[in-house]
Amino acid sequence: MFDLKKYRKKSPWILHYNAGSCNGCDIEILAALSPKYDLERFGVINTGNPKQSDIFLVTGPVTYRTRERLVELYTQMPEPKVVIAVGSCACTGCVFRDMYNVEVGIDRYIPVDVYVPGCASSPELIIDGVVKGLEILEHKSKEMEKPFKLFKAATIDDGIVNRRHSALKVGEDDAKD
Amino acid sequence: MKKTINIPLGSQHISLLEPVRFKFECENEKIIGVDSDVGFVHRGVEKACTTSFKFDSIGYVVARVCGLCAITHSLTYTAAIEKLLGAEITSKAKYLRILLLELDRIHSHMLCLAHTCENAGFEAMFMRIMGDRELIMEIQELITGNRIQFDYINIGGVNRDLDVNSVQKVKENLYEVKQKVQGYMDEFTNNWSLSLKFKGIGALSLDEAYMYNAIGPLARASGLRIDVRNEIDYLPYNEVGYKMQTHTDGDINARNIVRLNEIVNSIEMCENILNGVPEGEIVTKVKGKPEGETVVRFEAPRGELMYYVKANGTAMLERVRIKTPTFSCIPAFSHIFLGEEYADAPAVLASFDPCMSCTAK
Repeated sequence: MFDLKKYRKKSPWILHYNAGSCNGCDIEILAALSPKYDLERFGVINTGNPKQSDIFLVTGPVTYRTRERLVELYTQMPEPKVVIAVGSCACTGCVFRDMYNVEVGIDRYIPVDVYVPGCASSPELIIDGVVKGLEILEHKSKEMEKPFKLFKAATIDDGIVNRRHSALKVGEDDAKD
Repeated sequence: MKKTINIPLGSQHISLLEPVRFKFECENEKIIGVDSDVGFVHRGVEKACTTSFKFDSIGYVVARVCGLCAITHSLTYTAAIEKLLGAEITSKAKYLRILLLELDRIHSHMLCLAHTCENAGFEAMFMRIMGDRELIMEIQELITGNRIQFDYINIGGVNRDLDVNSVQKVKENLYEVKQKVQGYMDEFTNNWSLSLKFKGIGALSLDEAYMYNAIGPLARASGLRIDVRNEIDYLPYNEVGYKMQTHTDGDINARNIVRLNEIVNSIEMCENILNGVPEGEIVTKVKGKPEGETVVRFEAPRGELMYYVKANGTAMLERVRIKTPTFSCIPAFSHIFLGEEYADAPAVLASFDPCMSCTAK
């Protein structure tokens, strides 16, 4: 049977969005896909479609008008997904910090998994970031397979006992035996 | 009943590096109306220059306006401040500035050519040109220490001296690029399937170029002889063998040929500079605070870049106004799209080499 989980790690597809950067990091992403560095030998393909991608590469500090698109693209991507902030601007805001139209990095709006520093970050660093992101992608897809409990273990340290704590939970008695 | 269809392109699109939105109004396959929206990457650099940074650090801030023509931005600002302070820079620093300016132009033009080919559907040519572009990036890393966004220009001169050992490597790489560019010339003029995509498409006539005030390679491809390198005397361009490149057709093919010829001319200029760099200091000490107002122009890879600086004798400036090349070309851009097929729109767009982060600042 065709097993999608097995192959996802070997060919992650990336989605690239420029959230107000100076084009420096965007060119370096393009250079990382070109023959000298060649991210495509790891199976990485630059797609334009958020619904087919696993890794979200974001460059630039978030400006007033790109923040809606950024969150929209993030929500359109299927789980599991990894967000990589490329460049100092996307990490902390860099020189654009405290300008009136700019936020302090992209992690105010979406959760970031890997931070790639540098102004502009070189293709070597971007490749390292993507390879690092693959480990997180694998970890996340394993986390998704685990069954999660509806109720967590009761904490009665503060002395307040809820009725829900004393309720019988599914499978609890079996575990005690 | 409405006969036309509106098709949006962007703000996020596979063929666009930067967020820009076009709304094409199409009738069957033909575009009959264009609406563009470029303000996605506005960051407020001009305001920050007058409120949060001192005049000697703004050169590094305005370099972050654009990643491709960063060195032209910082050079234009620095030239304006040097004019206000009355500083004289050494001739060695001038020659090194031209060297980096032309290297920047070469890699910017190569990126544009590669992108145009990719958007026309010729992926192999894109990979070829991008692979050869790395030769230029290697040189830049060797000379300045960073691939792009090298903060090379300083008030009073340049930040790094040219290493004697690396000059040989620079010459070898430039020679290799020159050989490769001859190969592209052949491909761009003789390839039949590329000619179907490029020849006669997206044409701008000479009268229209005058009327819509086009600048840079876009105007030169239409036969308008306009180039700031020919008109200024801050840098000794006439000594290093500058020649203006023009074409008469005005279509995508003409723009590609103009860019290829400019690459060849820039390589010649770089070789001339490397053969005869004068001896001397690379930086002169500059004292005082700027006062008065000035306008300085330079030729960025995309056209004329203009800075207006107003200072009042303190460390904070009063006004910094940046007029960027793509901003002046927008009327011509919008006009070219009318009457073209929608399928050609990405290739036409890439052949302008638009830079939205310059435009919105």
